[in-house]
Amino acid sequence: MLAAASLTDVLPEVDPGPEYSFGGSSELATQIREGAPADVYVSADPRLARALARGGLTSAVADFGANRLAVVVPADNPASIREPADLARPGVRLVIAQEGVPVGDYAREALRRLDLATALDRVVSEERDARAVVGKVALGEADAGIAYATDVEAVGSGVRAIEVPSAAQPRIGYAVAIVRDGAAARAFVARLLGAPGREVLREEGFAAP
Amino acid sequence: MRRGFELLLAVAASVTIAFLVLPLVALFLRVSPAELLGQLGSAAAVEALLVSLKTSAIAHVVILLVGTPAAYFLAMRRFPGRDAAIALIELPLVLPPAVAGIGLLAAFGRRGLLGEELTVLGISLPFTQAAVILAIIFVASPFYVRQAIASFEALDPEVLEAARTLGASSRRVFARVALPMAWAGLSVGSALAWARGLGEFGATIMFAGSLQGVTQTLPLAIYAELDRDFTTALALGGFLVVISVALLLLVRLLPGWTSSTSISLFRFARSSSGSTSA
Amino acid sequence: MALGAERWFDRGGGVDRRPEERPVGYLFQGYALFPHLSVADNVAFGGRRRVGELMERFRISHLARVRPAELSGGERQRVALARALAREPRVLLLDEPLAALDAETRSIVQTELADLLAELSLPTILVTHDFEDAATLGDRVGALVEGRVRQIGRAADLVAAPADPFVARLGGATLLRGVARPLGNGLTELTTADGVVITSSDPGAGECAAAVYPWDVSLSRELPASDSRQNAVRGPVLSAVPVGNRLRVRVGPVVAEITAASADRLGVAEGGEPMVASFKAATTRLLPATAPVHDA
Repeated sequence: MLAAASLTDVLPEVDPGPEYSFGGSSELATQIREGAPADVYVSADPRLARALARGGLTSAVADFGANRLAVVVPADNPASIREPADLARPGVRLVIAQEGVPVGDYAREALRRLDLATALDRVVSEERDARAVVGKVALGEADAGIAYATDVEAVGSGVRAIEVPSAAQPRIGYAVAIVRDGAAARAFVARLLGAPGREVLREEGFAAP
Repeated sequence: MRRGFELLLAVAASVTIAFLVLPLVALFLRVSPAELLGQLGSAAAVEALLVSLKTSAIAHVVILLVGTPAAYFLAMRRFPGRDAAIALIELPLVLPPAVAGIGLLAAFGRRGLLGEELTVLGISLPFTQAAVILAIIFVASPFYVRQAIASFEALDPEVLEAARTLGASSRRVFARVALPMAWAGLSVGSALAWARGLGEFGATIMFAGSLQGVTQTLPLAIYAELDRDFTTALALGGFLVVISVALLLLVRLLPGWTSSTSISLFRFARSSSGSTSA
Repeated sequence: MALGAERWFDRGGGVDRRPEERPVGYLFQGYALFPHLSVADNVAFGGRRRVGELMERFRISHLARVRPAELSGGERQRVALARALAREPRVLLLDEPLAALDAETRSIVQTELADLLAELSLPTILVTHDFEDAATLGDRVGALVEGRVRQIGRAADLVAAPADPFVARLGGATLLRGVARPLGNGLTELTTADGVVITSSDPGAGECAAAVYPWDVSLSRELPASDSRQNAVRGPVLSAVPVGNRLRVRVGPVVAEITAASADRLGVAEGGEPMVASFKAATTRLLPATAPVHDA
């Protein structure tokens, strides 16, 4: 199972059986394109999954789940970030994911919606995936980062989340597609999309509001 | 039986070379030279190249300026703890680069050991080009220093003593005798260190982050491009390979060039009495 | 360690001049030329003032641009000498200056070196394992064993009156060890473990070593008439080695050096007929035995 990094903790709960390989959704898509042996692709960017499907590399795509963005700051909040607008303050060290990575695109979209284009000038590093973003914040090197709300919870202590208003939230959804057909793959997808999967997703914060 | 052994050696050598060369050949087969050059025109590529060249060059100068006297000292002097000191210098060689990056953060990060002192001085290292330079110095210097120590140790002590008897101070012996004599070995170490520095990734991304035009070196750009545009990534990768190979070749050939030039301090074409032969 | 009134090293007095501050001209056994510099730059390393003159004197001007790697042994030595002298030293130290040369070059260089030393008249210490070199090149010769000086004096004195068996051997003698007892007539008799009996005009008793110089030994086929003042040792010809135009013959425990002509006349041949080695008691030195020194 090649799955988006933000699902690292939740997928094994849905189905502990399969072997998981987590990473940035775009990186995983590249791997699949280059022929990596995968059974299922779970992406944080449905467009990537659909692109693969169009290319005949995967079966039909099914959407599921949701997520929210959050501004993540170190527990001691050295830059005193209280709301997203603070991100545009000069001197703030902001870390987001690079363009092309879903959480990176989402972050840019959110900033646009909040009319905070100047915040992009505060970016000191563009990371590969959401976990790396949170990592930099947890280490205390970045003043703030933009990642999935679920990642902030997963990391736990050391970081705090600051709400991004719903109006600014981009539509974040996941998609799953079968790369190599087989009984195990279909069983996994069934679990994920079925009642047990939805239950776990909702508990962990991956459900549509 | 002897033939069999010779054959075995040849096969081992061929397999080794083939294995090491294959990925590179495959790389260039995927990307045509035209594509390669085309992709290189992109802003990302140019900026990555500039960052790489600038940071690796500065890092390299520091490594040479500080590492050479350090290596000389370690090579020439015997003192308690010398072996430990040399082992410590070689440590980054076996350290995973990411760990090195974390270590650098732990030392120089905002919350690091020296974090407070640096902040007071107004210096903030993470996410800066200086951080890239530091990361490169950390992972690449052992390559040079180790080689430099070996080169200095290999010098004939009698020749160095002779210089002393001729009135040269320790400093002059180092500059005029030891350094020129060890030149070939130092060049090799230098090339290895520079190549390693150019390819540095793990420590850089941890300590300096990745921002186009600021801290995104070629390796980091390749990594970033893997998702955005695989072809560009390949092109950048190929480009990096070409630079590294050129560097290594240059250093192989350089000793041949420098040994033929005479560093003549004394113009002695004709003697004062005009005789030209003895 | 002092040169004239200058003190260079005095542990008690806390004086320790750095090597580069001691005006010594040091010739290393391996010459230690700078491989990365030309001959001219090598010579100039110690000082530029006299480079031209020195290179002329040592006949290496034509090699000015050449690198040491391309020089012959003799040329390298001359460059090393010129370099050492370019520093205008007040003392010369020569470490086995002739050791690294082939036989042919050696004799030429020995003569040149003797002339040079005489001309320079700098205080010079020369270290060698060859007594002949020391004798030819030095005014005084010191025999050093395990760091200790056993005897210093004119070369001739070291041969005529060696202080101990090592010095005698250094001077070229063969040693015969045994027990000595005075005979009462001014002669001392020495009996070796193998039963060889010889006499010496030197006094001695107990464990002793007799020193016999090869050039004092003559060979014959027959034993000469018995004479207490003449020693005669009969023995097999163990080896006969040509040295120059002479022959070094080992007869039993004694080594003789005879002319090639004599050798021919006598029909001396290794493994051939036994010979008799004769030498006078007067030329046989008797020395108190010392612990055998490890042969260098």
